[in-house]
Amino acid sequence: MIGHFDLYMRRESALHRMDERAKIIALVGFVLAALIAPTRPVWPACTLFGLLGLGLVFGRVPPLLLARRTLLVALFVGLPLLVSRWGGEDARLAAEAFAVKSLLVAAAFMVLMTTTRTVDLLDATGRLPLLRGLSALAQFIVRGVNVLLGEVVRTYRAWALRAPRANLQLRVRGLAAASVSLVGRAAARSDRIGAAMVLRGFDGSLPQAPARSPAAAHLAIGVAFAMLSLAAAGIGRWT
Amino acid sequence: MVARKRGKDALWQARELSLAGLLGALGLLLPVGFHALGWGGKIFLPMHLPIVAAGFVLGPATAAGLGLVVPLLSLALTGMPPLPLAPLMSVELMVKAGVASLLYRVLRLPIWIALPVALVADWVVLALAVLLAAGFLNIKAGALAYVAAVIVAGLPGTALQLAAVPAAVAAIERRLPRLALKRGKQ
Amino acid sequence: MDIAPALSVEELSYTYPGGGRALDQVSFSLAAGERVALLGANGAGKSTLLWCLVGVLRASGKVVVGGTELARGAEAEVRRKLGLAFSEPDDQLFMPTVSRDLSFGPLAAGDAPEESLRKAHAAAGQVALAEDLLARPPHELSSGEKRRAALAAVLALEPEVLALDEPTNSLDAPGRAALAEALLGLPCAQLIATHNLDFVRRLCPRSLVLVEGKLVADEQTASLLLDRGRLADYGLLAPEKGPT
Ligand SMILES: Nc1ncnc2c1ncn2[C@@H]1O[C@H](COP(=O)(O)OP(=O)(O)O)[C@@H](O)[C@H]1O
Ligand SMILES: [Mg+2]
Repeated sequence: MIGHFDLYMRRESALHRMDERAKIIALVGFVLAALIAPTRPVWPACTLFGLLGLGLVFGRVPPLLLARRTLLVALFVGLPLLVSRWGGEDARLAAEAFAVKSLLVAAAFMVLMTTTRTVDLLDATGRLPLLRGLSALAQFIVRGVNVLLGEVVRTYRAWALRAPRANLQLRVRGLAAASVSLVGRAAARSDRIGAAMVLRGFDGSLPQAPARSPAAAHLAIGVAFAMLSLAAAGIGRWT
Repeated sequence: MVARKRGKDALWQARELSLAGLLGALGLLLPVGFHALGWGGKIFLPMHLPIVAAGFVLGPATAAGLGLVVPLLSLALTGMPPLPLAPLMSVELMVKAGVASLLYRVLRLPIWIALPVALVADWVVLALAVLLAAGFLNIKAGALAYVAAVIVAGLPGTALQLAAVPAAVAAIERRLPRLALKRGKQ
Repeated sequence: MDIAPALSVEELSYTYPGGGRALDQVSFSLAAGERVALLGANGAGKSTLLWCLVGVLRASGKVVVGGTELARGAEAEVRRKLGLAFSEPDDQLFMPTVSRDLSFGPLAAGDAPEESLRKAHAAAGQVALAEDLLARPPHELSSGEKRRAALAAVLALEPEVLALDEPTNSLDAPGRAALAEALLGLPCAQLIATHNLDFVRRLCPRSLVLVEGKLVADEQTASLLLDRGRLADYGLLAPEKGPT
């Protein structure tokens, strides 16, 4: 049918094999570190870029994908950077810090997303008490995306086949019509999915999958990575 | 939010969860469609459409949760909206959908009051969040100008919401008649 | 000889709000382990009947499944005994992975995680669903695999009666054969709603026929299939001579 709607790359790599909970710990530590790390002196940020490079290498993240995503962020953070050239020293440093932090965090998320199945990721976040409801919601959204994507593709193809050389006005109408019919169909579908859940005994809460315990070695690596990032950022900031 | 009172109204909860999932899915797919046509997301705000509509058909907690989750999930899955923007949108959509649901489903105000109020609430929250973030990142200059620019750029999207959301809500309520009866009883 | 039926339906009627009468005084029963076809043209009321059996649509009349009457408060028990496989598997598979979907029913019914996993695997085995598909998300399955996964999700609850709505939709010939094979191997009573005569020919000794919400026939499938004139009247065959 259609390809999946996320960044996951099926590959053999150390990070692909790693327990997703260890990866989440590492990511959280890294993101916090990126947020608190100063950009002057430069060594803490450089350390973080180095750690990020480890992730990119051990996760075998495709360079082209990385370049595309980086470009996306760069376009967004580039503007303040450009504007700040006419501002004072303060503004320039702030814009620079903003750009560095954005790039670090975005790339770190990408390492996680390309090496971890979305299903496993949401399963892991669903085990945290605070995130349980939101993770369930996210799981239903991911499932919904894959169901609706098939319908979107079919609707759009049907429309595009009948209007191959549409002008702007026709395109607007086509998209509007497709969206409205999708909303209606989504509503009707939710009615049936709701029935499916209740028929199989849904009583207001989703049962949780039995948990495997994560390997101690994986956890240790995740924690070490997080501590290392935080240490670099913390020392850089408060000494 | 998802696991609420047991037993009682399981069918309603199941429908709410699956409807939230599908509207959230539209929130992920519509922006991709707009981008495919070459239309800027910052102008037409495609992600806002289904999430605001969700505010009118879901309970406040689920609606707010959906608003919070969708931009972050979209960032994770598609890379859009780009990173510094996604958390900001999360806060915006959470408030917008939550306020819409509160006004329309709990307080039972008509949609032509609830929708504009939700839109304004979004702007207020946007301004507050940007000021807060600017303070945190130490970028004082231009924060308010940025907010104004975002709001003005998004005016076509706001008009689109005013036009399309009532139609979408009507379409959903037509397909799910029980939803209309349910209004106010939660 | 006089054992209680697995499913008995008495004078079931249903009218859609704002629509016409979709079911009109339908009565029949299924013996334990019996396999029965529910035939009818598009719009005859087959799906409506199945939704009424599990109480999602509230019909007038009486439905008794394995000795439990469908009534307020007894819905959960009836739904555990009568499993309904939808016409659209995508509507039925709602969990992130196939194995989580299959074990959802047993878990919700209060089974321990290991026990529900065992039931999930057993159900997958009953419909010949390969083990390596279980860890996948449902959208990575083919139509035929999805169909069998949705069926397994229902079977995991070990129902006494299995109701299937248009099970041959979107299946190719080998897919239909595999499904028929799986259904033949199941011990539970089955009610198979379809308009595909070839599919029920070898599967169901007995057939019910719905026409515009009314039960117009309840007889041996073999004799019904020989009567082409009546099949055409019921809308199950194209008329011999088309309009010119
Ligand atoms: N939600 C509905 N509202 C009103 N009428 C409906 C609805 N669903 C089905 N019907 C009508 O009920 C009749 C029986 O439909 P259905 O049970 O789906 O037929 P079948 O499954 O045999 O094809 C049809 O005439 C159809 O138009
Ligand atoms: Mg049908």
